[in-house]
Amino acid sequence: MDKLKLRQICFLFAAVLPVSKLIIYPSTLSYYAKNDLLLAAAVNFLLEGGVIALVLLLARRTQCTLFELLSNTFGKTAAKAVYLLLAAFLFFSALLPVLEHKTFVTQVLYENVPSLLSFAPFFAVSCFACVKGLKTIGRIADVALPLFCLAFTVLLLLALPQADFGALLPVGAAGGRGIFNGSLFGLPWFTECLYPLLLLGHFRYEKGGTWKTLLSFAAGAGAVLLFLAVFYGIFEDLSVLTQYPLAHIAKYTTVFTTLGRVDLFFVFAMTLLAVFCLCTPLQLCMHCVRTVFPNLQPVLPAAALNAAMLALTIVFHYSFNAVQTFYMIYAAPIVFAFCYLLPALALLLRKTPRKKEVPHE
Amino acid sequence: MLLGVKQAEKTFGTALRQNVAAIKAILPAEDVLCYAFRTADGAACAAVYADGITDKELLGALAAKPLSLAAAPKTREEAKKLLYFPELRDADSAEDAAAEILAGNPALLIDGIAGAIVLGTKKIAVRAVAEPQTAITVKGPREGFIEDIKTNMGLVRRRLKTPALRLDTVEVGKYSKTNVSVVYLAGITREKIVREVKARIGAVQIDGVPDSSYIAQFLAKKPYSLFKQVGTTEKPDIFCAKLLEGRVGVLVDGSPIALTLPYMLAEDFQSAQDYFVSPYRATLSRLLRLAAVLIALFLPAFYVAAQLFKLQLLPFALLMTISGGIQGIPLSPSLELFFLLAVLEILIEASIRMPKYVALALSVIGALVLGDTAVKAGLVSSPAIIIVALSGIAAYTVPDLTGTLSVVRLAYVVAAGSIGTYGILLLTALILYYLLSSDGYGAPLLAPFSPLIRRDWKDSLLKADIYALRSRPAVLRGKNKTRLKIRNREEDAHG
Amino acid sequence: MNKVWTWIFLLAAGALTLLFFSNDFGLIDIQKTAVVAAIGIDVSEEEPDKWSVTAQIAVPDASAAKASNVSIPAAETVGAGIAEVNRKTGWYPTLVHCRLILLGDGVAEEDVFRVLGYFLRSEFVEDSCLVAVCEGRAQEALAAASPIGELTATAIAKVLSSEAQKTGLVCVTDLRTFAKGYYSPAKSGYLPYLSLKKEAENENGQAAGGGKEEGKGTGGAQGEDVFDASRTMLFYEGKRAAVLDAAETLAFNLAEASTDLAFGQVETKQNGETTVYGLKMKITGKKRSLALQEGVPVCTFRIRANAQIADENGRAALEEIAKKAIVPEEVLRAAEETFANKLRAVLAKTAESGCDLFGLEQALRRGFPKEYDAHKETLLRDMLPVFDIRFSTLH
Repeated sequence: MDKLKLRQICFLFAAVLPVSKLIIYPSTLSYYAKNDLLLAAAVNFLLEGGVIALVLLLARRTQCTLFELLSNTFGKTAAKAVYLLLAAFLFFSALLPVLEHKTFVTQVLYENVPSLLSFAPFFAVSCFACVKGLKTIGRIADVALPLFCLAFTVLLLLALPQADFGALLPVGAAGGRGIFNGSLFGLPWFTECLYPLLLLGHFRYEKGGTWKTLLSFAAGAGAVLLFLAVFYGIFEDLSVLTQYPLAHIAKYTTVFTTLGRVDLFFVFAMTLLAVFCLCTPLQLCMHCVRTVFPNLQPVLPAAALNAAMLALTIVFHYSFNAVQTFYMIYAAPIVFAFCYLLPALALLLRKTPRKKEVPHE
Repeated sequence: MLLGVKQAEKTFGTALRQNVAAIKAILPAEDVLCYAFRTADGAACAAVYADGITDKELLGALAAKPLSLAAAPKTREEAKKLLYFPELRDADSAEDAAAEILAGNPALLIDGIAGAIVLGTKKIAVRAVAEPQTAITVKGPREGFIEDIKTNMGLVRRRLKTPALRLDTVEVGKYSKTNVSVVYLAGITREKIVREVKARIGAVQIDGVPDSSYIAQFLAKKPYSLFKQVGTTEKPDIFCAKLLEGRVGVLVDGSPIALTLPYMLAEDFQSAQDYFVSPYRATLSRLLRLAAVLIALFLPAFYVAAQLFKLQLLPFALLMTISGGIQGIPLSPSLELFFLLAVLEILIEASIRMPKYVALALSVIGALVLGDTAVKAGLVSSPAIIIVALSGIAAYTVPDLTGTLSVVRLAYVVAAGSIGTYGILLLTALILYYLLSSDGYGAPLLAPFSPLIRRDWKDSLLKADIYALRSRPAVLRGKNKTRLKIRNREEDAHG
Repeated sequence: MNKVWTWIFLLAAGALTLLFFSNDFGLIDIQKTAVVAAIGIDVSEEEPDKWSVTAQIAVPDASAAKASNVSIPAAETVGAGIAEVNRKTGWYPTLVHCRLILLGDGVAEEDVFRVLGYFLRSEFVEDSCLVAVCEGRAQEALAAASPIGELTATAIAKVLSSEAQKTGLVCVTDLRTFAKGYYSPAKSGYLPYLSLKKEAENENGQAAGGGKEEGKGTGGAQGEDVFDASRTMLFYEGKRAAVLDAAETLAFNLAEASTDLAFGQVETKQNGETTVYGLKMKITGKKRSLALQEGVPVCTFRIRANAQIADENGRAALEEIAKKAIVPEEVLRAAEETFANKLRAVLAKTAESGCDLFGLEQALRRGFPKEYDAHKETLLRDMLPVFDIRFSTLH
């Protein structure tokens, strides 16, 4: 049964998905938006929040899945085609975070450059998660919330004494162009607003569900914005240099203590959450594939999906910067179409099946 | 059907000799004896019984003696009036009589009367009800289940004197004919679970059931799983408490370990004593157990990963200490710890199976010879021994999980030694995904944490006060939710 | 169990076990690693356009860590020097526990980021380590022996600790803070200026902290040494711009840094006699604010402190010692004047050297972005300082 609770979707937005924006996104954003990085990120969050609100509006009106809505409107074949496109989008949208995660892991969790073999087992875990279906997305979110709260709070508390929030002044120094570029090039990190659309029909809408979800999303967004503020407050002009702030923001407080780098254990906790976060789009991709091919054994598409991702990871092993640049420059229209336009248009889909037409005699 | 006897279905006649012969044909074993005697007027009688499991004294005093002093009865009903047994049954066929004889109840045959009278004089050597070694409490009941299912049923019945207590017994085992009793409280336990448990037990066709662990494997949804799927307890107080929560219990004849279903991982962090001490102490104890489990699992793995891949994890002073300790050790850090964990497991295995009087010598050998001398000989380092010892001790804070923890700990060390800290994280993710997707009898293994059931937190890793435990665990979804009502509590509080 | 999963698990377990037992997938474990506790960098004596790199390696010992210094006399870059350490010793040097980067004062004559850049580039090198300039050569400073027999790097790190900063004796900087200043528009920063003072010869005439030299040995110090970091070197565009003496360092710490308990000396003249008081000062408030008054930048230094007499150079009566918590009014005023004068001197040095020690340019940029361009070049010279310093005592 691939059923989730609305609560679990709330937790997903509050505790799992924000982690993807704490790895390389802050330094990328600070490159474009400089001290106005909060404004640039806030624009993206507002857009995402708007789309999520629209999807929840749809969830309030119907218990149908997106596939059923598409089938009602365009027929099964068209619905299958859209789902295959969505699967492809989710697959490729996961590539950049996977590569990002790989470089993060190899740089932060090791003291020498490890081989790709060290990262490859991730795909085994992801494959397992894909087989287990949508239910685990929700259940992982339940586990993730306390872990995120603990790890994030400790890291921020350790980092706060080093932060000079004056670094964010003067507001608007980067100019409209800087903020716009920050938002535009940050789009590959803001694809999560598509997820509720794919979860449609797999959760029961509750009273006040829209507000609960939006508040949770706001909490997650708030956590990211706070992190960005602390990050820029600590590193200021060096923020562009600091590729993996998650691993660095707390170290200045702990490094000279007798316990040493205890912050690393909380960084590990966040890395674990990042694993869950990365598995989510792949699980949704798998869900799309299984919706199109319901008779397929789940192991086969899951293995194929992850093998393909592993192959791409090997191909782009040394080309993370090129992939990142490509995504930031060219992916924006595709992200916009799938993550922002599609959920908005979904409101127009038929909620009830078409009546079978009586053939004319 | 008993061992290939064709005339098994044959009903008894009135001739004693033929009836005895029919039983002996089914039970030719030497330990099945025939005690022949006569009534006062000379009618021949015989009691066929299995030696060793029948109370012969009782048989003589309460069956043979009154019959030998009276005239021969004409019917079984007349005969029963002469006997002083509370437990008398009729057996109309030789097969029925044979089955009873094997259970320890002799079959009384009287010449001229068709059929046999089964006398309830079963006498099986059972050990006394004692405190189980695996669940010792400082405060609280000390009774434990024993191997006799009747005694165990009595222990349960003594605690739950209600007509709602149901003990539905079935025989499992083609040859062992083991009694397996499904125990539950009607109206409290979800019927669907009872039906499913009964159906699973009923579907079992096996030669014998030596222990309840066999049944546990049939009841598990994933019998190949490394993790427990069925709750176990040796204490009737815990068993009854679980029944009262809405769980189904299973008692198996010949096993002192009772099973409970559905099972959740959080149960293993609870101890009987938690309910007899203050909730603060109980909560602290449970959190300590969780911390100990985390230490048992992760400490050796992080120790290996830190040395191989991430020296930064070790504070400078500790790094120097470890670095000094491992100088000249011929094994790599990962192999050193793997070797020590293997030694720990061997020591544990040996000390469990070894006679008690040898165990002390083993401790000396383990601690001094293998530990101290190995360090002095430069085979292993002192920090590694400390890490393994701490991990080993920590695992025993949750005795029900020790076996699982040993295997998982070894897996963690292999993951850490192969791919470092990330290996530990990935294995954790994998285990979490596995546990999260494991449901048994409608209850998720990680409930009430995932899925989150806030109401059930009151008695999970946390322990609320008794007044807060008003309702049964929501995860069990029983009809009757209330387990505590306090009358006039407000008045008491203010009065 | 599903057969596919059985095979997947068996294969995964097999692969992991292979990795585990082969234990050689490019990893460099603790047994092959040299833990570098400090790095010293000097201008090479042999080839002045190259660097001399000294790595202080912490060697575990039964009682405590001992130092083993490995020097590379001439390396093109710091990275090359560290790689040379690997080649020379066969040990892989790890810098994750490097607590100190010590620069010889020759390095500070040119842009120090020619050598510090290495530490900013790699994820495997921490930018949280302390940075200091030492009088003379860093190689010699690292070969010094600590009087309590600990690692030289540890002894220096203690002198540069945050506790020392809190007492106002030292201006402590880590690499990140220093780099932030360098890459900011002000291009300014400061480093503690360390000097080595020969304290005493020990009985064996050997350095207690090890100081075993490899590579180009310079002969380690023969006595026990103490380190003094009460001076501060100011940098502009990565080059040495000026040096603050101990009193100026204290004044700067009182005004700007995270100093909350300081000791300072104040001279007063009464009846023609000069008395020197040692004051213990608890800083209760400090604020530095920049304002534009009629187009002129005005910087106000507001310091509030409670003072106690810790010592004085003359003989004091028993009653006066008993009233140590009460500082005479004239001493308080003298103290205010002394620190104002010292701050003035510091500001003069910053104006002269171009080193924006107080981060005024940053304050201007943040607070007055529109006026920033007009004032950024002349800010340090045109700025009018206002000192609002009040020392109080118990009455």
